[in-house]
Amino acid sequence: MTSTDTLSITPQPTRLPIRFGQFLPLAPPSIMLIFIFAIPMGMMIALSFRGADGALLTLDNYQRFFSDDLMLAGLWRTALMSGLVAICVTVMAYPVAYYLARSTSRWRTVVFALAIAPELAGVVLRTYGWLVILEDHGAINSILIWSGMISEPLPLSKNLLGVVIGLTHVVLPFGILSLLTSIQGIDPNLERAAQILGASRLSIIRRIILPLSVPGIVSSLLIAFTMSASAYATPALLGGAGFKVLATMVYEQVLFYIDWPLAAVMAVLLLILMLTMTLAGTRAEARLQRKLHV
Amino acid sequence: MKTSRQCALAVGFIAAWAPDAISKNLIVNSYGGPYEEIIRERIIEPFEKKFGVNVTYDAVGSASQDYAKTKATGGRPGFDVVVMTASQSLDGCREGLLQPLTAAAVPNISSLNPQLRAIAGECGAVHELQYLSLVWRKDKLPEGLSSWSDLLDERLSGKVMLPTFQNVMAAYLISVMSVTNGGDLLDEVDPGFEAVAALAKGSLGFEQSSAVMENYIKDGRAWAMPFWNGRAQLLMESGLPVDYVRPKEGTVPLIATLNVPIGSENKEAALEFVNFWLEKTSQEAWVTGYKVGSARPDIDVPDEVRARQITTETDLNALLLPDLSALSQRLPQWGARWEREVVTQAR
Repeated sequence: MTSTDTLSITPQPTRLPIRFGQFLPLAPPSIMLIFIFAIPMGMMIALSFRGADGALLTLDNYQRFFSDDLMLAGLWRTALMSGLVAICVTVMAYPVAYYLARSTSRWRTVVFALAIAPELAGVVLRTYGWLVILEDHGAINSILIWSGMISEPLPLSKNLLGVVIGLTHVVLPFGILSLLTSIQGIDPNLERAAQILGASRLSIIRRIILPLSVPGIVSSLLIAFTMSASAYATPALLGGAGFKVLATMVYEQVLFYIDWPLAAVMAVLLLILMLTMTLAGTRAEARLQRKLHV
Repeated sequence: MKTSRQCALAVGFIAAWAPDAISKNLIVNSYGGPYEEIIRERIIEPFEKKFGVNVTYDAVGSASQDYAKTKATGGRPGFDVVVMTASQSLDGCREGLLQPLTAAAVPNISSLNPQLRAIAGECGAVHELQYLSLVWRKDKLPEGLSSWSDLLDERLSGKVMLPTFQNVMAAYLISVMSVTNGGDLLDEVDPGFEAVAALAKGSLGFEQSSAVMENYIKDGRAWAMPFWNGRAQLLMESGLPVDYVRPKEGTVPLIATLNVPIGSENKEAALEFVNFWLEKTSQEAWVTGYKVGSARPDIDVPDEVRARQITTETDLNALLLPDLSALSQRLPQWGARWEREVVTQAR
């Protein structure tokens, strides 16, 4: 009995005693997040359910949103605009990030500085810069008209195209940085080994670099999507009067119509849109990783 | 013993002096640009000199942003006097965010035109009147304009700038266009929407800010547009070939009010400031400085100013005055119609 008891004893994983002091460093950021994020967010969600008659729990505001074609168009436009910007940013950022990750040239520093340079100027300033370039009497149209290539200005601003161009410029540095981190994590010996074994450059990119940088691609797409969906200044300035997205619609409801519950509904839907995309992105990434056996 | 008595006296002195010193500060929130220069010279500096109050001028935010801030803080936005529109003044008063201004607290309020006082409600002191005018480039249209319908003239195709609906000018344009085309200011506005939709078809586009709209007329891209007459007058006086008119069908005024948030920390000085701005001499200084009209019919101003501004009972009686509370309630519905019927027509 004694020997059996002795034999049945299996080594238990060592458990360190939980001490209050371990959690102390987490306290300041947790308190800060509760006060500046969780509580205001909760208040905003509660506001979205408040009725005009003072009722604390009603779906009237959501019903107003979903029964108005202009508002639904704004939601769809937000998703479309953000999706296009996410794709443009990721496609444009990838070659730059790859160059920065692999290059040993002295120009690398210059390219890096140029890549993040847009962040040195404010969003409004950069957007006004694009307005000067893209508007009907802007640089591009003036040159094209002067050279005789066109007779009427091309519609480059006050529409989706103008906003996508402006936002791509605003968000591009973030896409580059997230891809750079991911590509830097890929062992360069893998590329060398493939090269020695006779793989073409295109094959190396398609079979090694792209699959291994999927986390960076997903992260770039998500960052660009969420930043674009919540952007206000660029759609407001480059989009024109008919280009309404959720962020500009929230501004209108808060400041012009003073309809804060409806503004809260729009803000909640914007949040849901971003959370859905984040969830979909991370799931797609996991599925892709499994498929590629990475 | 002697030292502690001296200390007690010093503390007592500071305690007695401190509340008085705090009440001698005042935060006034209004607009920047030319407005700020003129308000400092014509109103704030004379007020500081007369009452010994130190005024801090806060030019951040539009009237809408200031109203939203007042609402969000329950009437404690951090400023003591704010310039708003009569419509915001009515809404703020109804929600208990603004201080009612009685004749006992602001004696000069009794000198204002009673009709305008009634429009602005009990919390707003009308300190300035502008009107929606028709402005045009004299070098492009030497014969000038006289009617709202002139904006639809063939010659102006692609040369008219319009406001977005988030500028209250758009709602007023709907009203005056309705009156011009057989409708009325608030209820029968279909003719107004039809006329503005036709106007949008041949317009340059839409801009929200009056300051941005101004650029189009300055550089000649726009030949004509609806615009506030005070700003139009400043453009004229800057030497641009620009003129403006009160169209023959009449026009709607932009009634600007001084308001004191209910939670103002320097209420006494705030009420004193409002009263000072409504004084006859201050109104004369403001009308001649910022080139606007006044709700005080007894002011003495040069004839050339009187000819352009709203300064007399006759001028006031000729205005089209919509019920601002009713207009405010219709804004969401009008805004949706504007997006569907007007914006979609633009090129």
